[in-house]
Amino acid sequence: MTHLGDRLSALVDGELDGAERDRAYAHLASCEQCRTEAAELRALKQKLSTLLSRAPAEAAMTRRLIAMTGPGGPLPPRRRLLRLAPGPRPASRRGTRRETTRPGPRGPVRRRYLVLSAVSLVVGLSTAAFTAGGGGEATPGPRITPPVEMYSVQHAITTGEVPFTGPSARASVADSDATQP
Amino acid sequence: MFAFNCSVTRRRDARPPVLLTAALAVAVPGFLVTACSGQTAVSASPQEITASAPASTGATGSPNAPPQEARRPASALAAHLLTQAAQAAVLTSYQGEEIISHWGTANGGSVLVSDIWHASGGQTITQTLTAGTAASSEPYLSSDTDGQWPEGVLGVTTQLVRLLETHYVVAYAGAGSADNRTAQIVEAWRENGSLAARFWLDDATKLPLEREVFDTAAHVISEDVFINVRFSKLAPAAAPAGGPSDPQGPWTDPLPAGQLLALRASGWLVPPELPGGLSLFTGAQTQTTTGTVLDLGYSDGLSVVSVFEQRGNLAAKLAGWQKVTMAGHVIYAAEPDQRSLTWASRGMVYTVMADAPAQTVDTVIKALPHDTPPGFWKRMSHGFARLASWVNPFG
Repeated sequence: MTHLGDRLSALVDGELDGAERDRAYAHLASCEQCRTEAAELRALKQKLSTLLSRAPAEAAMTRRLIAMTGPGGPLPPRRRLLRLAPGPRPASRRGTRRETTRPGPRGPVRRRYLVLSAVSLVVGLSTAAFTAGGGGEATPGPRITPPVEMYSVQHAITTGEVPFTGPSARASVADSDATQP
Repeated sequence: MFAFNCSVTRRRDARPPVLLTAALAVAVPGFLVTACSGQTAVSASPQEITASAPASTGATGSPNAPPQEARRPASALAAHLLTQAAQAAVLTSYQGEEIISHWGTANGGSVLVSDIWHASGGQTITQTLTAGTAASSEPYLSSDTDGQWPEGVLGVTTQLVRLLETHYVVAYAGAGSADNRTAQIVEAWRENGSLAARFWLDDATKLPLEREVFDTAAHVISEDVFINVRFSKLAPAAAPAGGPSDPQGPWTDPLPAGQLLALRASGWLVPPELPGGLSLFTGAQTQTTTGTVLDLGYSDGLSVVSVFEQRGNLAAKLAGWQKVTMAGHVIYAAEPDQRSLTWASRGMVYTVMADAPAQTVDTVIKALPHDTPPGFWKRMSHGFARLASWVNPFG
């Protein structure tokens, strides 16, 4: 009896097309060993998915583990499965196709996260710098509220007219006494 | 000059030729005498002038309509009358009410009413009513016994009269009346032929009784009157009791322009001129609890701009001030009349008070220093430097 071999993982991942999937299910119905392996693969995949949702910080590692369970890629578990299920390797041609058309996901994911991290760092620093760069230079000296009444009297003398004052004049004089250490 | 007045009257009123001939017969000799001898004209009494020259400004001499007549020729008599008016404001004892009306300010206009008591010799008590309310300010006493300060009435001071003669053509415009008193009318004309101001001077004392100021479009931008005037040597005795306040502070005596310009070596901003033909003509310093304040006075004889400078920064909250945009800069204007403007730049607080047309104030504000907001890259550079200083353990 020919076992499913690496087609089992493809079945678990839902990568088999209609006719091939029907043949695989027909084999599972009659093969206890393949059913057991399929159940183990599904359990492993589900566990990794749970870990991914519980620990986002370990997303990269989890994704790598999930990828290890996924189709394609020269991953050790799949080879082990193949060794456990010796026989003809009809999928060898497919495996070759996967290696050529689906390179391992580790490189792109890592680069993507590196790029995202770098962009986030640049944007964050730029925002912080823009915010910190506002507000002008802090110059020394007292904080002044111009004393309108005093100035208006002086201005009136200069102009030869009468002083003009606003209702806030007295408060302004009082405020002008406040200094900043 | 008088013949010129008559010709103006003829054009405006179309009087019969007989009257014009008679008027010319009287006025032409007087004009010739005046033209040949300015000193004669200066020493001529206003009564003589009134008798020989009909007023060209109507029955009361109060031409409120925008002036349209041609520019009058310069007159030594007009300059002499203005000088007498400036002296009378100091040497005469008087009391009355000043009503100062301004148009064309940042918020449209303002009216101020003040009671004035003045004793010959320089002591003046002023009590200004708060615009729009029945409340009045504390009486303010200025004691100018040495005559150093250029106090006057309706902006007629000795220094401003000199500047007026420098920047404008002053002309005599005949007799009229103001505050039910006979007055001599003096006009100030711009070089471009537009009327800038008109003064009514009391015929008996030469004290200014009324002043109108026009912009270049012949619109009245300021009308100041001195009414209910009484002349008495005991005028200040009627002033309000209770001790007048002196919020002015111990300002130094007026510093000459040369001495003020020397302050530039100490880091003060002292431009010799400001836009609008405004020349530096006076200034003073005083000490406050927050440091030294420098006051610079600029004028062309009619418009007066005071620039106050003090080292420091504006307070975070300015009670009684509101943000406005003038000449492309965001500054603060004192409520309610917005005649006082202030801002800070490069460690200096500038406060400007102006009796000038709005466009003149705009050009002055624009000419003084302002902090411009930094560009994007400059702000980023400054921000990175600041961030670096925060994480620098040795900084």
